[in-house]
This record gives sequence, structure tokens and C-alpha cells, in this order.
Amino acid sequence: MDDIIVRSITRIVIPFVMLYGIYIVLHGHISPGGGFSGGALVGSSLILYTLVFGVDKARKKFSHRVSEIAESGGILLYLMVGILGIFLSGSFLSNQSAGFPMGELGSLLSGGIIPILMIGIGVKVASTMISLFHILIEEEK
Amino acid sequence: MIEQLPIVNLLLLLLTALVIPLFKKKNFKFTLSLNFTVLLIVWVISVYLLYYVNTEGAFYYRFGNYHPMIGLELLIDPFSTLITFFIMTMVLLIFVYSTSDATDGIHQKEYDRYYILMFILLFSMYGIIYTNDLFNKYVFMEILSITTCSIISIKRKKQNYSAAFRYVMLNEIGSLSYLFGVALLYMVTGFTNIEMVGQSLETVWQTHPTNIVLAIGFMIVGIGLKAAIFPFHIWLPDAHASAPSSSSAILSAVVVKVYLMVFVKILFRVYGIDILSALNIPTMIMIIGAVGVIMGSFFAIAQNDVKRMLGYSSVAQIGYIVIGIGLASYLGLSVAIFHVFSHGMMKTVLFLSVGAVIYQRNTRLINAFEGVGYLMPITMGAFFIAALGMIGIPLTSGFISKFNLGLASFEGGSSPYIFILIASGILNAIYYLPIIIAAFLRDNPEKQTVLSKDKVPALMLAPIVIISIFIVGIGVFPNGLMTLIEYAVSTFEV
Amino acid sequence: MDLLKDILEHINFIGAVALFVIGLYTVVTHSNLIKRILGINIMGTAIFFFFIAVGNVLEGAPPLIDPEGSSEVVFINPLPSVLILTGIVVVVSITVYSLSLVVRIYETYGTIDQKEIAAIQKGEDYSD
Repeated sequence: MDDIIVRSITRIVIPFVMLYGIYIVLHGHISPGGGFSGGALVGSSLILYTLVFGVDKARKKFSHRVSEIAESGGILLYLMVGILGIFLSGSFLSNQSAGFPMGELGSLLSGGIIPILMIGIGVKVASTMISLFHILIEEEK
Repeated sequence: MIEQLPIVNLLLLLLTALVIPLFKKKNFKFTLSLNFTVLLIVWVISVYLLYYVNTEGAFYYRFGNYHPMIGLELLIDPFSTLITFFIMTMVLLIFVYSTSDATDGIHQKEYDRYYILMFILLFSMYGIIYTNDLFNKYVFMEILSITTCSIISIKRKKQNYSAAFRYVMLNEIGSLSYLFGVALLYMVTGFTNIEMVGQSLETVWQTHPTNIVLAIGFMIVGIGLKAAIFPFHIWLPDAHASAPSSSSAILSAVVVKVYLMVFVKILFRVYGIDILSALNIPTMIMIIGAVGVIMGSFFAIAQNDVKRMLGYSSVAQIGYIVIGIGLASYLGLSVAIFHVFSHGMMKTVLFLSVGAVIYQRNTRLINAFEGVGYLMPITMGAFFIAALGMIGIPLTSGFISKFNLGLASFEGGSSPYIFILIASGILNAIYYLPIIIAAFLRDNPEKQTVLSKDKVPALMLAPIVIISIFIVGIGVFPNGLMTLIEYAVSTFEV
Repeated sequence: MDLLKDILEHINFIGAVALFVIGLYTVVTHSNLIKRILGINIMGTAIFFFFIAVGNVLEGAPPLIDPEGSSEVVFINPLPSVLILTGIVVVVSITVYSLSLVVRIYETYGTIDQKEIAAIQKGEDYSD
């Protein structure tokens, strides 16, 4: 878009939206939300960038290679944590019975493996949303 | 170590699907051999689990060691290991076929997409059969429906897209109806685990009958839409029309059967035979199955395109399986599972041999088959054996299933269904025999009357020949398979 | 009056079923493909609404534990929220897949109306 007001406001707003999304991802074990909704927020901030500044500039910042690494990395992190649970306790995705530190109720570093899983899911969902949006937009050319 | 084998199966299939894009730069043959190795390993593990569960007993696999009331669990018992063994055997042979044919018509750099989709499809089928939780089944069913739809419409042809869209819409209505049934059951029992819901439904049935009747209705409609049971079969022939032959074989021989096994599990483990008999549901299911058998055959006779005819023939054979389920007796359920095996093998041979003929002749109409028996004797010989099995001639596995189905309906007191079986045998003959007669007794365009070797690659012929040998073998010695099936059926209480 | 009282008590469930039927009607009768996709979304949302209504406990608090608060609070059931989170992701992915199919259909047929597509398809031959 060529409007200068839209571009200036977007430049100010996008970091806050992304920060809010990351906050929701990291606090998945304390407040409602978690990986999916936080990832959707980060993804929608990137979609906002694409809509305002055009597909070419967005493609340079978030290229095909980056989205491939992000998507595969998210799933592989999830599966590696699960397999670690198999070796430590005998069942996939074990949390308390595998001896991960539980921490105090309500603090950020608690809940065992849950924050790690949330980060993996959040990265994957954000990257999926932005790459699907790029594929749908680029079909018109 | 033995208890980790089911999760090793699931993880191997998912990790292969993630790893395949990394090898894009290498030779495509490396990817194919990697895929074949993984499929072989998973097949060996499935066979070992089948042997282990039949000798040592069933076991549960709880995720995170949580109690089943709040966690997920997988149930590994004779039934689930038998069905996963069937799935893996069929897909292994179809994979060998597809290495020469499926990538025909796709761009060079997109070859690996077909196999990524196939591995995610296998992962979701294993997930559906192993899991013991109703909501988890819904999630895996959705993954299966997206990947099946993608694998059908992978060639960029015009008719594909609208057929795929109709497939997605109808499957989605089916999944959401099933989910509504799960929500209604959660409302009265408070659990989503299959065994806990089954136990609490026995007491809740007296106090909240309306919820349970509604839930049965929604679930039967939902799974009927996905399993191509008669009034809901509209998407099946269009989906077969321009798919690659290996995708049609996977769809019609394996995917639809998985949904029918979900149907069996829900009817007999969640609701139980008491609730079903009180509502007269077995009779209704048998009537739906019988109508499907007759109408499917009628529609098949009127077709001009070979693949659509085979699609309607699938609808008719699924009607047999539904009659077997509706009999709700020990023998009826055993016949239904035996026909799952037998129809899976016969439909695979039919689709793969039709695919070989299309590979050599480049058209799909029935008059392409004229005289092709002399140019491709092995392929048409296998087609002939499978068609005899569909009609129900003795010495093939189709005869064993039809005979036992007649016996089971006679024992269950519903003798009129025997006439439907005989009538449908005659109808099947009406649409299969013209192809065979045209293949061997008409003249082909090259005017050749001596048998010559097929001009298709050996990797395409080998699975067809192996499965035809199995069809005749199981027709003559059915006892081994029937013992395994009886162990599986004994886990249900009918 | 008893009937009215029953309806008002269970207004959530009636609303969810009404939304489900509206979504189903949209998918079955409208011929525009995008409206059908929206119908599937409405059906999915109706079922999630039903789940939440099932998990509701009258006069219950949100299911978050306050470490310094009293321990005698009645919470609503937290399990349906978790199930719905997964369900929303599934419906979103199906929507994205159907939308990409609609983009392809528009490129090949030039229209997104089902009746016009069927009319174009009648005059096609069976080439492979």
C-alpha cells in the first residue's frame, strides 16, 4: 500500500503484536492460550507486514528456506522432547513421572517440559500461517 | 522394550515424512529405497506385534503415564494389530507398484510430495487404529481426509479439482457430525476414553436416552459419509475418475476399510449390543447394506469409464461388509473382517491391472480393453482371477466370504439376505465379464493373436502377481486367516 | 411456562444446534464454493460452542489457580477448552486447504459457481 499513514503506524505496531504473541506462547502453562493462539498472533503480525509492504519485501525477510527450517524444527523439537521422555520414564511425553523439574506453582519456570513444547508449537504455527498466506497470494501472478 | 514398539511405528512413519524433503538434491532412487526400507521395518514390527499380542495378551500404552481418565492411551490388542498388519501389507505392495507409475504427469521437482503425503497418510491410519480415545480419533481422521484428498488430486488435471472439492466438503460434514456425536456423549458421561464411555453408558442409558439416540444417529451418518456406505457414497466414483492408479487403490482398498473398522469399534465397544438391540439398529444397518449392494451394482453396469465402474463396485462390496456388521453375531463380524481382507486384495489387483493397461494404452474407456489380452496376458490373467473373486466363484477368497455371509445370515434368522447375495453375484458377472470377453475374444488394433509379454515394467507386474497368488491361496486355505480373525473378534462382546 | 423456563435454561445448547443447522443448510444449498467453506466453519464453531456449554458450571470461576487465594472455589471444567483448541486448529487447516483448491478451480474454470462448473464439465471427454 502506498499510504504513508498506514506504513508508519504498521512500523510502530508490529513489534508490540509480536511481543504479545511471544508472551502468550511463553505463559502457556500459567494463563489460557499456549502454542496455537500465540503462534497465530505472531503469524498474523507477519501477515500484516505482507499486506502493507508487499509480497516481495516480505519474501526477503521470511524466505522459503527459513520457513522450511522453522516448520521442521518445530516438529523435531516436539518429537525429541517426547523421545527423551521415553528414555527417562518409559512413556512418550512424560512430564512429572520422568523427573523434569516442576518448580513452584505460578512462576514462569515451572511445569516441566510444557514451555519447551509450547515454543515448538508456536514457531511452527507462525511459520505455517505466513507461508500459506504467501502461497495463496502469489498464485495471482 | 516391547511396549515401546507401537510408538516406534508411529514415530518412524512421521520422521520419514519429515526427512524426505532434505534429500531433494540427491537421486530420486535414494529416496525410494529409503522409503521402502522404512516400510519394510514397520511391516516387520507390525507382524511381530501381531504375534506378541496373540500369544501374550493385549496391553495399553499410556502417554505420560497418566490415568486414562485425563490422558491419552493406545490399545494394542489382537484387533488393532490385525488391521494394521493388513494396512501395511497392502501399502507395501502398492508402493512397489507406484514407483514406476505414480510420478507420471508430475513435475520433476515435485516427485517427493507424493511420498510425503503417503507417509503422513500411513501415520494417521496407524493412529486411528491404535488410539483408544474418541477425540484423538477425530484428529487423526481429519489428517487422513486431507492427505487422501491431496493424494487423489495430485495430478494437475481439470476434473480433479472439483471432484476433490466435493470430496473435502462431504468428508468434512461427516467428521463434524462424528464430532457432534462425541460432544453429546461427553455431555452425559464426562469421559472421552472409549472404555470408560462404554462402562458408564450402561448406567446412563436409563436416565438420558435421548442424548444416546441422537449420538448414535450423528455418528452413523458421519462415519457412513466417510466410509462410502450406500446413500452417502456420492464422492467415491468421482474421486476415482482421474486419480493415479496407486492412489485409487489406496483409497478404495485401505482408507475406506479403516473407517469401517472405526464403525465396528464404535458400535460394539462404546455402545454395546444391549443398547443397539433396544433401538433395533442392527436390522437398520443390514437393510442399508443390502440396498447398497443392489444399487451399487446397478450403477456400475451403466458406466463407460473403467475406474468409475470399479468405484461403484466398491460401493457394492462395502454393502457386504455392512451386512456382516449388522448381523451383530460372532460369525457375522468375522465374515465382515474377512471380507475387508479379501476385498482389499481383489480391488487392489483390479485397480493396479487397470492402471497397467492405461499405462500401455493411454485411455480409460472400456473399449480400450478390446483384444488387450494378447498384448498383456499376465495383467489380464490377474484381472480375470480378481473378477472371478468378486463374482464369487469357488477357489477364490470372494467365494469364502460370500458363502460364510450366507451361512451367518441363515444362522441369524435373516434368510432373505441369501437371495440378495445370489442376485448380486449375477449382477457382478454382468459388468465384469464383458471386459474379460472383450480382452480375450475381440480383435485388437494391432491384429495380434499370439500371446506376447507385457510391455510394462517388472516392478508394476510383481505386486499384481503376488496379490493374485494370495487371493487364490486364501481361497483354498482360509483357516490361518480365520483363526487370527477369530482372536480379533473375541475381544468384542457380541 | 414450564416449556419457556426449560428453553431459557438450556439456551446455550439450543443456540449451538441452531448454528449447526444453519451451517449445514449453507453447505448443502448454496452453489457458491466460498459460501460452502464458510458453512463448514460455522458448523465447526457451533460444535465448539456446544463443548463449552457442556463444560459450564453455574457460578463457577475460570480454571486458574491463584496461589494466595482460598482453596474452596468451584471451577468450571477445563477439559473442553483444551479439546477445542485442537479442534480449532484442525478446522483452520481444512479451511486453508479448501481455499487453495478454490484458487485452482478459479484458474482452470474461470468461475466459482458450482452450477456453471457442472455445465462446463458436461462437455468434456475422458482423456487421461
